Amino acid sequence: MNIVVLMKQVPDTWSERTLRAADNTLDRDAADAVMNELDEYAIEEGLRLTEAHGGEVTIVSMGPEKATESIRKALSMGADKAVHVSDEALHGSDALVTSAVLAKVLERAGFDLVILGSESTDARTGVLAAMLAERLGVPQLTFASKVDIDGSAIAIHRLADYGYDTVEGTLPAVVSVVEKINEPRYPSFKGIMAAKKKPVETLTVADLGIDPAQVGLAASATEVVEWAKRPPRAAGVVVTDDGDGGTKAAEFLASRKFI
Amino acid sequence: MDFTETDEQRALRAAVAGLARKYGYAYYTAKTRDGERQTELWQEAGKLGFIGVNLPEQYGGGGAGMYELAIVLEELAAAGCGLLMLVVSPAICGTIIARFGTAAQQQDWLPRLASGSAIMAFGITEPDAGSNSHKLTTVAERDGDTWVLSGRKIYISGVDEADAVLIVGRTTDARTGKLRPALFAVPTDAAGFSYRPLDMDVAMPEKQFLLFLDQVRLPAGALIGEQDAALMQLFAGLNPERIMAAASAVGTARFALDRAVSYARERTVWSTPIGAHQGLAHPLAQVKIELELARLMMQKAATLYDGGDDLAAGEAANMAKYAAAEAAVRAVDQAMQTLGGSGVTAEYGLAGLLANVRVTRVAPVSREMILNYVAQHSLGLPRSY
Ligand SMILES: Cc1cc2nc3c(=O)[nH]c(=O)nc-3n(C[C@H](O)[C@H](O)[C@H](O)COP(=O)(O)OP(=O)(O)OC[C@H]3O[C@@H](n4cnc5c(N)ncnc54)[C@H](O)[C@@H]3O)c2cc1C
Repeated sequence: MNIVVLMKQVPDTWSERTLRAADNTLDRDAADAVMNELDEYAIEEGLRLTEAHGGEVTIVSMGPEKATESIRKALSMGADKAVHVSDEALHGSDALVTSAVLAKVLERAGFDLVILGSESTDARTGVLAAMLAERLGVPQLTFASKVDIDGSAIAIHRLADYGYDTVEGTLPAVVSVVEKINEPRYPSFKGIMAAKKKPVETLTVADLGIDPAQVGLAASATEVVEWAKRPPRAAGVVVTDDGDGGTKAAEFLASRKFI
Repeated sequence: MDFTETDEQRALRAAVAGLARKYGYAYYTAKTRDGERQTELWQEAGKLGFIGVNLPEQYGGGGAGMYELAIVLEELAAAGCGLLMLVVSPAICGTIIARFGTAAQQQDWLPRLASGSAIMAFGITEPDAGSNSHKLTTVAERDGDTWVLSGRKIYISGVDEADAVLIVGRTTDARTGKLRPALFAVPTDAAGFSYRPLDMDVAMPEKQFLLFLDQVRLPAGALIGEQDAALMQLFAGLNPERIMAAASAVGTARFALDRAVSYARERTVWSTPIGAHQGLAHPLAQVKIELELARLMMQKAATLYDGGDDLAAGEAANMAKYAAAEAAVRAVDQAMQTLGGSGVTAEYGLAGLLANVRVTRVAPVSREMILNYVAQHSLGLPRSY
């Protein structure tokens, strides 16, 4: 089985993140770059599926040169090879443009299954799986907390507030995964050493037969017009206990949908 | 000279740090409190190939060096869950067997030490021979095809988790009649071998033991390497020991400094975070400088050692061990000061670390013995003892 896992390098969620004043795009220098956390789960699922059914895991990543670090990590976890789409022209591409570029890569590489995290921690649009499935003309099975493959049949548990739905489809397909699906492995030392020798193909937009004018900030359909820093944490709510403290606390929790 | 770690070294650092985050100091203290060992962490680290990174690939190791093994211990300690037996099992014992063991000994021990499925403790210290290892009284007599070992050892770490202890004893030189050191792998279940835990006043999961060797009979193959070259073999194992002791101390210093810095950023007593006061900021900056200097010397020692220069590595390893212990003691002390009352609570766990880091000034080699070494070997001064 030929599995492609999409992987994005993002600014570390734990560090202070910001946008660039000049063009309202992500300031990639402001924070440490790490692999998008959900993508680790996507890679793990790809590895488990090939361990069970045979085949290869190819990592596809679109991002600046620095993304090679995260690609290396994916390879050290056990992926077989990688395709890195890296081009200055891509700077500022929105989800629509990104999905167009990735669809081209996927058509070129060929696939039985595309796995991706259900969202990235930086943009958090969560629309890529749907866009890709549409562009590729294959079924989308999203928010998977479990994936089963039997021949060309695929079934997932789709995470829902009330538990899960079972969604079925046929390969080739696009699957997006949630955190619940597995526990990603740590790269082993052997994996780290082996990653060094695994092939990474670097492609420009032109290599994919895409006109550079069709990608990037200017070609994007959406635009960040304005943004503001997260407001400082507001003071908490003080509940005076006049004998009904328990009810008030419960009401507060209910208003925040905790209970 | 290159101060940039390779991609693989950085990836190893990140991978170990990831694993260590899953366990952390809470795990370490819980295990200590319950009188248990960090077995899950040890096993997972073994499975990922972190324990045997320095051991030869042909025996299941990672084929890398002490630099990489030091990365493993530093990152674990920096997350608050250092594994003391890394200093002993792969670093001292693994190194000695890989460099000097017979093919049979290598085949027997290295795959198990590399995977972590077996642990070898190391016993040199005796009640009357700590700093002065010339006074070792554990003696091995040759009896036909076997060796018979008798003696006592003290403060030996991790014997309860070990499959064997690499015992430093002495044999009688056939020609001169003088006693010379010799190394024996003594299985912990050998007849005549017994041990009991010492009541130590430090908070670490690894325990220390008093060992009794009462006419322990061992096959000829228990003598590690050459009888005549034992001293050289011993020294080959002690450099890794010092590099690893430094790695552990550097990691612990990072751990304490991290806690202090994040606390100093948040905690506001008057109108500014306490980290803005130079009275707290400068000592933390000094700790940072001292720990980076110690780390640099540790990395120099590891690089020299991996490059095959035992002699130059010896001086650097001693200096690194000294500097790292000083940095760690200071880091924990200053972190406690920074946290005020919180520094004494179990939640922050700094007070408990104080005794642990204080040990690094004494073991595996004391600060004074390192100063003696530098005074005599680096400065050429006469000795008092
Ligand atoms: C937690 C812990 C774990 C340990 N684990 C192990 C282990 O796994 N295996 C093992 O073999 N050992 C182990 N040890 C023992 C450790 O290596 C010794 O404690 C250490 O070498 C010091 O020896 P000593 O305790 O006999 O002190 P002593 O040799 O009695 O020294 C006492 C003091 O006198 C000073 N001193 C002695 N001679 C001189 C001199 N000539 N000049 C100046 N000062 C001097 C020393 O520096 C020290 O401060 C461990 C110890 C501890 C505390």
